[in-house]
Amino acid sequence: MTMGQSVVQKIVARAAGRDRVEPGAYVTVTPDYTCCQDISWPARKRIMEEAGVTALAHPEKLVMVVDHTTAAGMGSAYHRNHGEMRAFAARHGANFFGPGSGLRHQVLLEQGFARPGGLVFSDEPNIASIGVVGALNIAVSTEVVVTSVLNENWMVVPRPVRFVLTGKLRPGVQIRDLAQIIIRDFAETDLLSQSCVEYEGPAIAGLSLDERQTLLACTYHAGPDTALMPLDDKALAYARERAKGREITVFRPDPDAVYAFEKTYDLSEVEPMVTIPPELHTVSPIAGVEGLRIDQAAIGTCANGRMDDLRAAAALLAGRRIADHVTMYITPGSREIYAQAGREGLLSIFAEAGATVLAPGCTTCWGYEGVLNDGEVGLSTHQMNYHGRNGSRLARAYLGSPLTVAASALTGRITDPRSAFAAREVAT
Amino acid sequence: MSISGRVWKFGDNISADNGIIQYSQVPDLGSFDVPALKAMLFVLIDPDFPAKVADGDIIVAGSNFGHHSHPHACVAMKASGIRVCMVESTDSAFIRKGLNNGLPIVPCPGIARLVETGERLSVDLAAGVARNQATGRELTFRPYCESMLQVWRSGGLAPALRERVQQARIEGVLP
Repeated sequence: MTMGQSVVQKIVARAAGRDRVEPGAYVTVTPDYTCCQDISWPARKRIMEEAGVTALAHPEKLVMVVDHTTAAGMGSAYHRNHGEMRAFAARHGANFFGPGSGLRHQVLLEQGFARPGGLVFSDEPNIASIGVVGALNIAVSTEVVVTSVLNENWMVVPRPVRFVLTGKLRPGVQIRDLAQIIIRDFAETDLLSQSCVEYEGPAIAGLSLDERQTLLACTYHAGPDTALMPLDDKALAYARERAKGREITVFRPDPDAVYAFEKTYDLSEVEPMVTIPPELHTVSPIAGVEGLRIDQAAIGTCANGRMDDLRAAAALLAGRRIADHVTMYITPGSREIYAQAGREGLLSIFAEAGATVLAPGCTTCWGYEGVLNDGEVGLSTHQMNYHGRNGSRLARAYLGSPLTVAASALTGRITDPRSAFAAREVAT
Repeated sequence: MSISGRVWKFGDNISADNGIIQYSQVPDLGSFDVPALKAMLFVLIDPDFPAKVADGDIIVAGSNFGHHSHPHACVAMKASGIRVCMVESTDSAFIRKGLNNGLPIVPCPGIARLVETGERLSVDLAAGVARNQATGRELTFRPYCESMLQVWRSGGLAPALRERVQQARIEGVLP
């Protein structure tokens, strides 16, 4: 008897032109889009030149985004790279989004490239955030060259794993805290290797699309190839609006779909968590690191650069000043988010609190801006915390939720956002 | 087209960057310093390994092979003559990095119990069969698909792309 298929199997089967695919099998697929970025573009271009590439099979499927080097100044090599990408896109008819457009993750969604049932090959596993509209990201790194040119490549059919979310987050706790718990639980095992985490459960209806993207963008660090959210009315309405009439294929799991295993997380049990450098699985309840003096606070990245994140930070920062010894950077995930933050008055709240708003992109997460010095402590919503990730190898990079980062920027020490909220209520 | 060679068997949880090689000790990360990479291959597990390994050898390893990877670990193995890595489990990113450098890395549950160091193993990537040549015992695994075999036969991503582009021009798929 043939078993049912999960959503990831159905998306891969569609891209492979088959009725069904088996988890673990290697298949050749045709992607709906390939997405690449600026920092690795010179190496990609070199491979194409060496292979004698003069044309792309489907240039309209290539999405090129400048998000790593948003503001290339004098003395930098990056402005030349921006120009070469722009020229390449114009020559071949590819899609190009220049500095300040935003993270690839956001551009793919906002421009409607990421659509339900679609497959995107990219050079970044965290782009799994497009799973919020039921689009599948498969990270292929160097092979974006192959898919850009030939419009096909191989992939392994990820093993479906089901994570069930129940309960409701308590005040002061954010979905980022759960993401860090999931990473803690799985990052040092091979339980999620070559899998797709398909989220399910009653809690998801109560999560905003921004919260769902945060979780999806972080899940890779727990070990899977990619991740997906279920398509409910909220997600489908957004996807339809952005698709502007382009193809959408809604896949739902068969009732008898088989999952490698299932794990349940109760959101009401989550508390603020901080990831301790230099590993991602060393995650502590905030009480374990409370009071540690910080030098820099940063909110943004593919994990937490969306409206929900900016609103949460603004709720704590409004009418207050960050500690004198702290430098704070806030990066909207895209130009669209930047504009919306302006309309809602968040940018002035950040400026008046003493924070600096940076142009949409990766910015502080890889040390393009906001570089940490020897001995400094950073607390951020970044995705990585290894020695030297965004500055000196002798700096320490702690990770937490936007609320934790904002509360800590105010005191200059790692601070439980629940206590910051309590203080706010007493004051007002 | 089958691979056969002498086996070196290692255990579980061998990190790419701090096991297969020592990424923090790579002299120049911008280029692949092949002599330096070969000199550090598996020395954390067997200090004499670079002197013992020979062209045509096969690595067999346990679960979670090559996690936390940069491509340097694959370059080190390929340049040292390793023809294939047969492992209990690994991640997709490491399989890609290996194949792009002409080195097949193959999840093959049960492989750690099939062979011992020093025995000869044959591997058929297209059929998905691994065979201990001494005992005759066989295991099956998920075979590589045709586009993966093409990359392997070409010797890596760049030469494979060159061949595919030429072929696509002949077929009229690319101008």
